[in-house]
Amino acid sequence: MRNFSLVTALLISCATAAIASPAPTKVQLPCESRHQRLSPTGAQAVVLCKDHSIHLVNLPDGSERLLYPADRRISELSFSQDGKWLAAGFHDGTVEVISSDGTGAARQWKADSNRIDNLYFFADGKKLFVSAMNHPGTIWELAGTPTLLATLPDQFGGVASVAVSPDGKWLVAGGGDTVVRWYDTATWQKTREYDGFLLDSFALAFTPDGKYLLAGGADSRITIFDVASGKQMRQLPPQMGSSVGDIDFLSDKSQVMTNYFDNAGEKPPHRLIWDLTTGQSTPVQIDFRPTCGSVVDGKLWLCNSDGKMLTITQQQ
Amino acid sequence: MSFTRRELLERCAAFGAITLATSIPLSSLAYAWDEAEKKVPTPACELGPFYKRQAPSTSTLRAPGDAGMPLALSGTIYDVRGAVVPDAKLEIWQTDNLGHYDIEGYRYRTVLEPGTKAGYAIETVMPGHYPQRVCQHVHYLVTAPGHKPLITQMYFATDPVFDGNPDKNYTRDPLITSRELVRPVMIKGEAKQITAVVNFDLVMETL
Repeated sequence: MRNFSLVTALLISCATAAIASPAPTKVQLPCESRHQRLSPTGAQAVVLCKDHSIHLVNLPDGSERLLYPADRRISELSFSQDGKWLAAGFHDGTVEVISSDGTGAARQWKADSNRIDNLYFFADGKKLFVSAMNHPGTIWELAGTPTLLATLPDQFGGVASVAVSPDGKWLVAGGGDTVVRWYDTATWQKTREYDGFLLDSFALAFTPDGKYLLAGGADSRITIFDVASGKQMRQLPPQMGSSVGDIDFLSDKSQVMTNYFDNAGEKPPHRLIWDLTTGQSTPVQIDFRPTCGSVVDGKLWLCNSDGKMLTITQQQ
Repeated sequence: MSFTRRELLERCAAFGAITLATSIPLSSLAYAWDEAEKKVPTPACELGPFYKRQAPSTSTLRAPGDAGMPLALSGTIYDVRGAVVPDAKLEIWQTDNLGHYDIEGYRYRTVLEPGTKAGYAIETVMPGHYPQRVCQHVHYLVTAPGHKPLITQMYFATDPVFDGNPDKNYTRDPLITSRELVRPVMIKGEAKQITAVVNFDLVMETL
């Protein structure tokens, strides 16, 4: 994702028909907030307050702590996949990693001279991908004092999206120059690149079995690649006028939840669930305006805030 | 062919066109002159989500009948020594006057190769505002052998967002990284055929 504001914009959506869901969780927020981000485990939510301060709220009890006051210029936030760590990127190129339970000292370092746009924890939480505006992606070893493992050169434009294969062997980055590059994580050498896209890829996701890579972006469609050969297999039908912003696999591994945002920014985003075996899609229909969303344990969680109350619903 | 100040000074001296009545070495004087001509690299901005490769080469982005105020946009590409960059490739893209990028096609997108004089000039329209961005802007990507790619955006001092005071208010758009990117706008032409005229020079860093 390019920056926090874009991410939050992608998450605001509104649909029409309600579907049944378990009883929603409601928590009082520490401030007026329009944007939140759920942790991958659903145990916490990062809350961006109207005054630009950032708080971490525990779910479902609502206890909270201030992460950053209003004068810190945060550009990106990302949880580790187990929810135990939180990485924050700043406008001045600084990165900070903290434990999400508040224990231990924060590790902070100057990772770049430009604004941090993209943070991605590897599955083991021990390495962090960092990219800054217009600059190549970098890999940082987090044990002890963070150290630079590798810089992944590109042509220009930085990184718009990144994913690591389930077996950890591949890191794939969607460049601002529209090229999708494959790196061998044993050597950090680029071993493949796909330059068939004319527009950026905003979302990359490997299938849980690691056999396929899904890429989606400004061309409004999802493209499926075979990981073994690197070749393009097929494309799902486009959603004209929209860009793919997020791709997440649901508990049925053949289904992916895809978030689309309107290129003109005039219509609310919408979500589709694609069945990869049939190539058919089903719209996610809800009767409220989500302010955040995440796939937790294979299920779609959506939340909305009305003033200082956050309501989280688990979708069927 | 073009020369830097230093090269010109040294050539003049070589041909006796100037004499030096001081003990300062010619090379020092040339460097001092160069120092005065050095240019500050153009501040970078983000590429934005809707960059599109393989745009056509055209200097006329505005088609007959297009809505919006005509805009004549021009400039020259320099390096930090003040010399023109003769082999640059310049990509420019923007929204239409309603704030819409052409994603399916290439309206208001161009790739130019300015050549030895490194100058460019395009005819387009004033871009519109759109919901995710505060200010009107034009995107630039400049590449040249031996130089760092330059990715930036140009803004208009007349943008209503600035309330007539871009010095004070340019930070209203959080993506504007420098006041220098907000350019003055000249209005030319008769009442019914006015054109906005903007000059935007670009300065590249060497590798």
